[in-house]
Amino acid sequence: MTTDLPGLGPTVDLDAEPSMPEKRPLRGGTRLSRHRLYLRRFLRSKGAVAGLVILGLLVLFALLGGLFTPYSYSDVDFASLGAPPSPEHVFGTNNAGNDTFAQAVHGLQRSLIIAVSVSLLTTIISAFVGAVAAYFGGTTERAVLRIVHFLMVVPSFLILALISQKAGGDWRVLIVVLTVFGWMYNARVVWALATSLREREYVMAARFMGVGPVRIVLRHLIPNIGSLLVVTFTIGVVATVQGETALSFIGFGVQPPDVSLGTMLSDGAQTVSSAPWLFYVPAVLVTLLTVSMALIGDGLRDALDPTSRAGGGA
Amino acid sequence: MLRYLLKKILGWLLMIIVATNLTYFLANLFLDPRANYLELRPPRTAEEIDRSLAQYNLSPATPLLDRWWHWITGIVLHGNWGYSPVGDSVNTQIAFRIGVSAQLVLLSMILSTVIGIALGVYTASRQYRFADRFHQALSIITINVPTAVAALVVVLLAILLNQSLGTTLLFVAGAQSPTVTGFWPLVVDRIQHLVLPTISLTVISYAGYHLLQRSLLLDNINSDYVRTARAKGLTRHEAIRQHGLRTSLIPVATSVAFAVPALFTGAVITETIFGWQGMGQYFTSTISKNDVNGVVAVAAFGALMTAIGAILADIAVVVLDPRVRVTGS
Repeated sequence: MTTDLPGLGPTVDLDAEPSMPEKRPLRGGTRLSRHRLYLRRFLRSKGAVAGLVILGLLVLFALLGGLFTPYSYSDVDFASLGAPPSPEHVFGTNNAGNDTFAQAVHGLQRSLIIAVSVSLLTTIISAFVGAVAAYFGGTTERAVLRIVHFLMVVPSFLILALISQKAGGDWRVLIVVLTVFGWMYNARVVWALATSLREREYVMAARFMGVGPVRIVLRHLIPNIGSLLVVTFTIGVVATVQGETALSFIGFGVQPPDVSLGTMLSDGAQTVSSAPWLFYVPAVLVTLLTVSMALIGDGLRDALDPTSRAGGGA
Repeated sequence: MLRYLLKKILGWLLMIIVATNLTYFLANLFLDPRANYLELRPPRTAEEIDRSLAQYNLSPATPLLDRWWHWITGIVLHGNWGYSPVGDSVNTQIAFRIGVSAQLVLLSMILSTVIGIALGVYTASRQYRFADRFHQALSIITINVPTAVAALVVVLLAILLNQSLGTTLLFVAGAQSPTVTGFWPLVVDRIQHLVLPTISLTVISYAGYHLLQRSLLLDNINSDYVRTARAKGLTRHEAIRQHGLRTSLIPVATSVAFAVPALFTGAVITETIFGWQGMGQYFTSTISKNDVNGVVAVAAFGALMTAIGAILADIAVVVLDPRVRVTGS
């Protein structure tokens, strides 16, 4: 993703920055804490709020949707095979007789778990690797960058497919594989930001006080690119959902009997003109998921970036 | 210019070679060609299977390095990419597939770049007006929609269109009809098949360029040199086009190279959906059939496409950026 990322030093202590144009009088009034400020700026963006609401509804659906149907995703109703939506089966059934509603709940759960854990892991790894490379410099930096650049050129989708089809569709393996091939780009972005942080006075001060390198990276470098990492995380969720859907769609990701949004799409693709509800349900869910996450990411970027004009007056 | 290009091409060639060889070892690690013989009746013994595989240089009994040496000398000396576990030549498969996929990938690469940049310029000069907001919303959706969903929506729309016209204007399956003969009918037929997959691939990839171009151009529109150009007497549109656009095009051009792998992944999905016998479809079939040599050929193709995209981007940067001088030594 080649969108612009928040600039440097977004987490300068905003509390101690009187130069910010403030509408409210500072003295006497309650000071706005940093998180309240972020929240206010985030809520100002309509798209971000809409994204948050949609995501909330999707998560609720994934967690509680199972309560509204007597079927489980693997139950087979032989009385209705490939039946269109009806009071009995709200979203219809597929050709094997599985209830589409129950499958959608389970598939969304699966896709969400995969996306969130992969994105969390890649964010952590890229933050650590990028910051370490930037802090140590020299040979370490060159070696890490070489690996990153090489992995960016390697046909990673093909290697993903190779490994995950070997695993036979276990979603836990899929998480590992998607993580292994998903951290490089972010690590490069983190590295680029962290290289300018390593010369800062507080890093120097910490070093001269005898703080160990790992501790400096963890306590001084990574927290200062925190806002970037938050945005990276949301964008990572979108990318992972897309990757998982693509892999499952061609049969190398999550595999039957397990269900994800990707496998549901693959089912729906075969019957797109005869039983379109099998396509509509996962298509709408997956689109809502990725678009809402992207909107949240945009909103967060604007809220956390002090140079952003979207922040408005406060 | 030529020297600069040659250097770049050499670098990419090296990348392709390394990536292809790496895939060879990985494919050998994760794919087991013996699986293709296990379900045959009458059942074969392990020795028989190994012997059958050995004639295609796929037997796990042979040390990996020996197989690799045999494979690489085959490519370098005879241009032979090896055989599938059941003895089909990879070369014959690739020969007709490569054209099919290359036209799909390259065509949508060019289309999405041109459309994306044009939209970026159009919306940037109308910031916050209706057209800008509308295209922004549309791009946010199309950039985030998974390829499979986008392609299937295109299929559904095409079916609707065909039904309302009462005739099949756009084909939703295959790269060409088997019954058509003659040069012009064949060209028309190919185009009728090509339209939908190209649209699907373009739809998912133009938005990246649009959003990037828009934000870069907005940064440039208010810069001093554009204001100077206005002061010289150029109209606003001339100033944007001749001065603002040129500088903001450079990062967009470089991003094309990194978009090609995604486009190739997209081609895997679209070829599956539209029933094209291209490299993308070959990708899925070789992996599920444990066809080690075929998989490696697909990887080489993907890397080649990336390299072509990157080199085109380099040329564009040289043309656009006055700071890059490549006049020979």
